[in-house]
Amino acid sequence: MSMDLELGRKIIENLKNKFDEVAVSIVTRDNVMVKLWNTEPSVVQSWKITDISLRLAKDRRLFLLEFSTKDPETLLKDVEQLPSIAKKIEEAEIYAPLPEPSIVRPVEGGIDPNVLSARNEPGKLVYKMIDAALKYNVDRVAGTLTLGHETRSILNSRGFEASESKTIIEAYLRSFKGEFSGHWAYGGTKLDESKLVEVGDRAGYLATVSNKKVEFTPGKYTVVLSPLVVGNLINYLTFMASAMAVIMGFSMFLKYKPGDRVAAEALTLLDKPRDTTLPGFASFDDEGVETFDKPIIENGRLVNLLHNVSTASKMGVKSTGNAGWMFPRSWNLELSPGELSEKDLFKDVDKGVFFSNNWYTRYQNYAEGVFSTVSRDATLYVENGEVVGQVGRVRLSTSFPILLTNTTGCTRERYDVMWWEVRTPSRIPYLVAREIMVTRPEI
Amino acid sequence: MIDESLLYSAIKHASELGAEYVETRFQRDYGFSISLRNGKILGAGSSRKSGVGIRVLVNGSLGFSSTNIVDRESILEAVEKAVARAKSLSSLRKNPIKFSTERVGKASYQVVVKRKLEDLVVEDIVEMGSSLYKTLTSELARAKIPVTTFSIETHTQEKLVITSEGAYVYSVIPRIYVDSNNVLFSPEKGTLQRMVSLAASGGLELIDEWRPVETIVLEMKRLENVLINSVQPPKEKVDVLVGSEIVGLLVHESAGHPMEADRILGREAAQAGESYVKPSMIGSFRIGNEYATVIEDPTIPGSNGFYLYDDEGVPARPRYLYKEGLIHEPLHNRHTAFLFGTSSNGAARAMDYASEPIIRMSNTYFKPGDMDFEELIEDIELGVYLKSYMEWNIDDVRWNQRYVGLEAYMIRNGELAEPVRDPILEITTQGFYSSIVGVDKNLAFYPGTCGKGEPSQGVPVWFGGPNVRLKKISLGVRAQ
Repeated sequence: MSMDLELGRKIIENLKNKFDEVAVSIVTRDNVMVKLWNTEPSVVQSWKITDISLRLAKDRRLFLLEFSTKDPETLLKDVEQLPSIAKKIEEAEIYAPLPEPSIVRPVEGGIDPNVLSARNEPGKLVYKMIDAALKYNVDRVAGTLTLGHETRSILNSRGFEASESKTIIEAYLRSFKGEFSGHWAYGGTKLDESKLVEVGDRAGYLATVSNKKVEFTPGKYTVVLSPLVVGNLINYLTFMASAMAVIMGFSMFLKYKPGDRVAAEALTLLDKPRDTTLPGFASFDDEGVETFDKPIIENGRLVNLLHNVSTASKMGVKSTGNAGWMFPRSWNLELSPGELSEKDLFKDVDKGVFFSNNWYTRYQNYAEGVFSTVSRDATLYVENGEVVGQVGRVRLSTSFPILLTNTTGCTRERYDVMWWEVRTPSRIPYLVAREIMVTRPEI
Repeated sequence: MIDESLLYSAIKHASELGAEYVETRFQRDYGFSISLRNGKILGAGSSRKSGVGIRVLVNGSLGFSSTNIVDRESILEAVEKAVARAKSLSSLRKNPIKFSTERVGKASYQVVVKRKLEDLVVEDIVEMGSSLYKTLTSELARAKIPVTTFSIETHTQEKLVITSEGAYVYSVIPRIYVDSNNVLFSPEKGTLQRMVSLAASGGLELIDEWRPVETIVLEMKRLENVLINSVQPPKEKVDVLVGSEIVGLLVHESAGHPMEADRILGREAAQAGESYVKPSMIGSFRIGNEYATVIEDPTIPGSNGFYLYDDEGVPARPRYLYKEGLIHEPLHNRHTAFLFGTSSNGAARAMDYASEPIIRMSNTYFKPGDMDFEELIEDIELGVYLKSYMEWNIDDVRWNQRYVGLEAYMIRNGELAEPVRDPILEITTQGFYSSIVGVDKNLAFYPGTCGKGEPSQGVPVWFGGPNVRLKKISLGVRAQ
């Protein structure tokens, strides 16, 4: 950690006379990932990498540089040409000076030594996941287990300097039984073997929950979405809540202002940077602003866009501690629990589809929030509260305004999910929405 | 460049530790970018990644390790990690991983440019972005343009691959990207959004060829007409003309991805998914009619997916994925080639030094025919032409897919007519390739960044095709 801070100080020292502002981000990762294929490891990958980013400002001209190298000479050579470029371009349209450093209260408890030691022998943990799935007599499993350590250091020429470390564990497994499959995922900062067992157990259960295929007619249904699906959609929704997404035209929030109703009252979406049980936590953002937990949507109303000092200045508000120098982003996401019980999830569903997993969420139009996404793994037709059978791969075809408004409830139970399709760590319940279009091809 | 002796030391060290195969790759990716919004500068930036990736086969188990500290100590430490961690998991493997025997390359090549990327004149780019915004705001009469962004990025990829089996391949590939996001708004008609991307391997001369400002302005004028004047898609079955942009994406998604041999075998099962293709279907399963020929070719000069040797040192060549309607040849690396009892066809690519090489597409296209566009539509009484798209997706076995038209027109009595709003082509892979009744000769390519792997790797590709006519099918209409 101290070596990274030392490197950061050296960079600032070298550049502070050439630029009005110098900010440095140094992220060092030491991770291992076991990838599984046909119930055996396909590859074990290890990384020991340092990424350095610079934000340089001169006469309100802004430069962002990214380096995946630890060689200061390379870094400084790239920077040499920038003052001459600064003379050739206009002032940045969206720019505010870095803030005065303030006291940052560190968050505690983000390191688990068991994660660090498990990196050299991840096989035992992999077995736990696999065995839990195989109890369901599935044919095969695939997935990954990642164990990591990350240190993030932020320094700037205004005098801010801080460093923070965390451990990360990310696990997901997909089980196959004949033509059916099930998938579950977990993301956290602590090594809790019961969570890995749960990943295998749920993947096995979902692969075997029904072996009956049923006919399916496209139309409007009540949809029951698992935490994996809701996590994926909430990640896309939160991207649009970044003030820069709004400014760049990649957001349905273009046409809303804080206080507007954007969702059913049952929905509260929070950014939780100070929760160290989820691996996206951070006590300071990339501009050195102390982070704080905040609602993005509260009881159905838009409360906050996510800001850095530049977007905040452009929109006449204060930073929300979510910098990204260019693009403000969320840290950890949490959807508040509801009153439904997971056990009785289908009880009030007359005619519905349960999506256990999804992928390929794509927009026709960000400004309207119009999208579709495709189911994968167990996708069940539910009638009069009972699972009738598997409908195969179908498509949720809707818009965020419709989906959010038509949400009728969430479960009390929530899960910490993170995988290929949910990149921001998320604590998410099941969600039920009515009158949602579900399609699939005729030919 | 790296001191080559470091890579040879890594090979020696890994071999001494028991590795049966060692592959070392030094890779450097660097570039410069500048972005504007509504004609004003957002910022400029550069990126530079360089480091070493090491892959080893030991006791039948595969290990990969990488570091961006390019000194002897760090590289040897990475070697030790790759070997030790692969060994520790070898007991979990039922069958040892083996690679096919190949004649690997000893070569050095680079893309020759007319104007070097380093000569990019910042003022020219600023002028382009500014001109784009001014022209759009002055020439669009009926729609507003709340946001238009414009960015140019240069990227040079330099690789040196050295393996324990004698491969030595050095390459330098420069690429350039232009991207623009445009939102059109009408108080009565709502919004419409178009993201334009141009990309290829080569130098700054490509910007002169593309004339991006003129290209984007012309397209946005056509899309203004779509926003203001479009009608709902017809409810009855109609002839559908799928434009080359959609055909390109469609062959990438429904021919390229399902024909990746690692996906067929399940290696990507928990991430990018599997394939409807099973090994037994190769050479015999009919996926479409005689028009359905899809080719994958990394060797197309100037292409976005260009390379001459893959990252295992195997020479690249064109591959016929689908040939006259039959499933023909999957994309292979040395591992899947061994499992299929064949030779690698050079499809292993890594995004950067920190990524393992995996099976990837390069440039994928539908084989064009010999008709003119006019001939292709002259006998359509009632049809729809889907020229471009925004929303698309496909399921995890590459069967059930959807493309939603953005610029789209009715076809009436053999001629293009009024614009159509958001016609939805939702179709299976076999449904598409079996419904083709005509193909024109207008082959065009479009750029993309293809995602696959864990951690996800984005690699530059082209996809393309001619305009393809389908027999009568139903188009979807977006539910309100």
